[in-house]
Amino acid sequence: MMKIAVCIKRVPDSETRVKIAADGKSLDEAGVKFALNPYDEFAVEEGLRRKEKAGTGEVAVIALGPAAAQETIRTALAMGADRGVLLQADRIPVDGFETAQLLAAELKDGGWDLILFGKMAIDDYNHQVGPLVAELLGLPCVTAVAHLEIEGTRGVAEREVEGGIEVVEFPLPAVLTADKGLNEPRYPALKGIMAAKKKPLEVKPVQPGAGAIEVLALTLPPERKEGKIVGEGAGAVAELVRLLREEAKVL
Amino acid sequence: MTTVLAVLEQRDGALRKISHEVVTGARRLADALGSASVEAVVCAAGPVGNAAGVGSFGADKIVTLTNASFGKYAPEGYAQAIAERAKNGGYRAVVFPASATGKDLAPRVAAKLGVAVAADITDVAVDGGAIVVTRPVYAGKALLKAKVAAQPAVLSLRPNVFTPVERPKAGTAETVAVNVPPGRVVVREIKAAPAGTLDVAEAQIIISGGRGLKEPANFKVIEELAKAFGGRAAVGASRAVVDAGWRAHADQVGQTGKTVSPTLYIAVGISGAIQHLAGMRTSKVIVAINKDKDAPIFKVADYGVVGDLFEIVPKLTDEIRKLHG
Amino acid sequence: MADRILPAAYQPPLPLDRLILQDGAEGAGDRMELDVLIVGAGPAGLACAIELAKLAKADGTELNIGVLEKAEALGEHSLSGAVVNPRAFRDLFPEVQDADFPFRGGGPVTKEAVYLLTKAGKLRLPTPPTMHNKGYYLASLCEIVRWLGTKAEELGVNVFTGFPAAQLLVRGQAVAGVRTAAAGLDRDGNQTAASMAPNDLVAKVTALAEGTRGLLAQAWCQWQGVTSENPQIFALGVKELWETKQPLDRVIHTMGWPLPSDAFGGSFVYPLEPHLVALGLVVGLDYKDAGLDVHVLLQRLKLHPLLRPLLEGGEMVEWGAKTIPEGGFYSLPERRAGDGVVLLGDAAGFVDVPSLKGIHYAMQSGMFAARAIFRAVKSGEGAGTALGEYDRMVNESYIAADLYRTRNMRLAFRDGFYLGGLQAALMTLTGGRFPNGKYRMQADADVPRRLSPGLRPGSVFTPDGRLTFSKVDAVFKSGNATRDTIPSHLVGGQGVSTDVARFYAAMCPAGVYEAVDGGVRINAPNCVDCKATDVLGPRWTPREGGSGPKYKRM
Repeated sequence: MMKIAVCIKRVPDSETRVKIAADGKSLDEAGVKFALNPYDEFAVEEGLRRKEKAGTGEVAVIALGPAAAQETIRTALAMGADRGVLLQADRIPVDGFETAQLLAAELKDGGWDLILFGKMAIDDYNHQVGPLVAELLGLPCVTAVAHLEIEGTRGVAEREVEGGIEVVEFPLPAVLTADKGLNEPRYPALKGIMAAKKKPLEVKPVQPGAGAIEVLALTLPPERKEGKIVGEGAGAVAELVRLLREEAKVL
Repeated sequence: MTTVLAVLEQRDGALRKISHEVVTGARRLADALGSASVEAVVCAAGPVGNAAGVGSFGADKIVTLTNASFGKYAPEGYAQAIAERAKNGGYRAVVFPASATGKDLAPRVAAKLGVAVAADITDVAVDGGAIVVTRPVYAGKALLKAKVAAQPAVLSLRPNVFTPVERPKAGTAETVAVNVPPGRVVVREIKAAPAGTLDVAEAQIIISGGRGLKEPANFKVIEELAKAFGGRAAVGASRAVVDAGWRAHADQVGQTGKTVSPTLYIAVGISGAIQHLAGMRTSKVIVAINKDKDAPIFKVADYGVVGDLFEIVPKLTDEIRKLHG
Repeated sequence: MADRILPAAYQPPLPLDRLILQDGAEGAGDRMELDVLIVGAGPAGLACAIELAKLAKADGTELNIGVLEKAEALGEHSLSGAVVNPRAFRDLFPEVQDADFPFRGGGPVTKEAVYLLTKAGKLRLPTPPTMHNKGYYLASLCEIVRWLGTKAEELGVNVFTGFPAAQLLVRGQAVAGVRTAAAGLDRDGNQTAASMAPNDLVAKVTALAEGTRGLLAQAWCQWQGVTSENPQIFALGVKELWETKQPLDRVIHTMGWPLPSDAFGGSFVYPLEPHLVALGLVVGLDYKDAGLDVHVLLQRLKLHPLLRPLLEGGEMVEWGAKTIPEGGFYSLPERRAGDGVVLLGDAAGFVDVPSLKGIHYAMQSGMFAARAIFRAVKSGEGAGTALGEYDRMVNESYIAADLYRTRNMRLAFRDGFYLGGLQAALMTLTGGRFPNGKYRMQADADVPRRLSPGLRPGSVFTPDGRLTFSKVDAVFKSGNATRDTIPSHLVGGQGVSTDVARFYAAMCPAGVYEAVDGGVRINAPNCVDCKATDVLGPRWTPREGGSGPKYKRM
């Protein structure tokens, strides 16, 4: 028996061409295709696998977002999740702590064995809602999990760090955030898509607080400048490294 | 007095280089706030070798928080120790590196302080007393500028952006033993990443080889260079060499569909057939090394070096090793 | 033959043995039973689904309707000009006002112009009567499809995106359903941990609304020996969407340059919004020069003084390509209904080239089919005679009448632009009665191609990356993000020489083919499913769902 919650987010598709809205502070959503955040797909898949392994249990998906996020939840239901909850708000807060508080309130008394997140959302790169929720709920947390083993109420996770792989032990219940490599998400099957239409999806209106982070501007990054030939032969390497460090700032 | 707290990183009792970036960023913020001081803090099991050195990058004070469990990263212990210090110290801001550990630790600390993290920032300024950060969003396709009103402001700095700047300060050192309960989440070990596990689609750095390598065995010069980046680099290959059976399909960059966009892409001995360019042109910085100065790859490269790759690449490997040593 | 290529000589036959499969054959994962299965979520398929759902609702009948679509999301494989005649919309949604349809342009078309171009000049022509667009609406077909899809889903239709139909399931001479393409295979066609077996979908009636050069529609016609008086012929359209600095206030069509005089085609320039311009070039695939490259011709066209000032400083935001069935009346299959099956829209060839219209015919054919299907399913017949009603409805409707009126107009152009233009003008004046009889056509692949070294339009074009783009840039702008490790879905023929490879490389707008020493290299993931290759080169087969382009506003 595994009771698993997966928190997911509706995000602009990774191929989205970014256009700034008239307010100069947000994405112009005209023509933008939205999708389930790819890292959350790993989380949903992991939830399904853990439940399948346990034999019984439940996978509930929870999203905070606009009414249209019901579609995103249906995607997860089509993959095999059992039910969905939409915390419906006009906007997703810029301040991750506001999001975390709303999710934590929803998750609080759920009796979950595992609460799963993607390690980050590909729109805001905020990288924090999972561990914030864990702290608010007082649960152990491992982030950016790329490999996972669970025996009973003990888990061993592996996460990529600079120059190696960190091996982390933790007790259940726990909050985990999923990285690429954790699994290969399944394709929603036809029957899953049909079944998803009939699965319960509860919509609960919420009012996110204003938060302490205020967007001043969203801008496009400066254009790529012309490339240059640094030099010829091994003698040019020192200058190349200098440029990569000081100009391009990638080393 | 206004103080900015800079959270440093150590591994095996030695300060990680990224700590210098954090101190540099914290110093920049402190200066912008107007003669604020920077206090650096690091969690460790005992004294940290070169900790006092951060004084030269602008830290007024270096505090080592020690606990027997702090040898390796202890997520809960570190978070508690730093959050307690942050709460009691009345800091204006707490600055983390957005490293693998920093990304894990910063939100834990932020939650204990009741605020969010302004994560992965590439710039920080002060405007009318308010802290203003810039951070890339939408996979770097846009930059978000935001005011952080949280008290304290918790920031994490994108690695490789805040180039360390020497700003000698006194750098007085202090060691404080802290008490924390045993953590539930325990780091057992850091394993070496098995070679070749890094997927080209995910890697921050990709070194790709093409037909210019002449034969499959010569790919070792590419592998050596990738290794010099300490596990952050993946080895890629052009379609031509994959088709020739020199490398596995999984290594192939440059077919529509598998667009890679690493921070740094180094194309070695790749002429730049259209298929390849399509796959890597969204990389942030592109370096091309090729003997043919008219190769199309140079048209998309930010930096090109013309010449014999068998001379250039080993030299580059040496230089990178020196940087990451 | 050293100076000519006959495309058909290098084209493998349609693999009927693989395309027609007995229902119950091994190899499927899930099996799903529906009342009506519609293959293709384009205007034809969705109009059919909507009309069916409405009929069932009005009748109080429970009808399980499924629509299969190969694109990852609705509309992503749909591409058209487009100026839309709204009559089918009004028929399908009598309760909706024109202003609430998913049209662009801020109202009906009011200004239009037709030009004959020379390399540096232009001659304004009177708008040919067939090309009058006043009262019609500019639109993006992607947006139309998404809108129709939402309507269909609201009516309880199951729309399955990301599921290409790959094989026709049959029982005896009857169509029983389709089998979808497998997903997640590796490059050699082996299963992986993430692979998904094909699914079988069976239904009382299967509507093939696959769009242009539909694979299963072709297979069914060939299997059942359903022929047409002329073979179907095609044109290839390459289209770009531009955000312009300069506003545009009129619909523009051009003829002439940069097309050679022995090729049929022209361009369109449509302001979806004053600063959002769709432009494209359409060229008949019976062109004579083996080196003709439609993508490159479009790039050249943009440099013409008519267009350059409009585009300068703007940004090309999307690119795509699609073929168009151009054969018209004489290329329609002799019947579009059979035992358990109907053919709709472009898959049946309902396009009127002289007026450049197809969307409303597609929708209308879908609605007629829905009415026939509903009666058939309701009466329990599901088959031949009841579905024959669909053919009758089409034959008695404006679809057949419009196509008959212009029956020879496109065909006249096989003789070249000027002679063809003259004949077409006479046809217009005589309501299609001049000249008597019927123009004979060959299939595009049977038209020999001239090898003319040094005279290859497109062979020496260097894109500037601002106004003009390479095929790689173009494919990138199509949103194509096909997994690059899927098995190749293009089936080539034998003995492809370098000359033939060059012909393929020029023909394919997406850079799928590259001529290499002694043959052709196939970059299959580049494919945007325009189907030109299926007309003239290697056969196209469906691949993993969600592959191909991701059009947004094409």
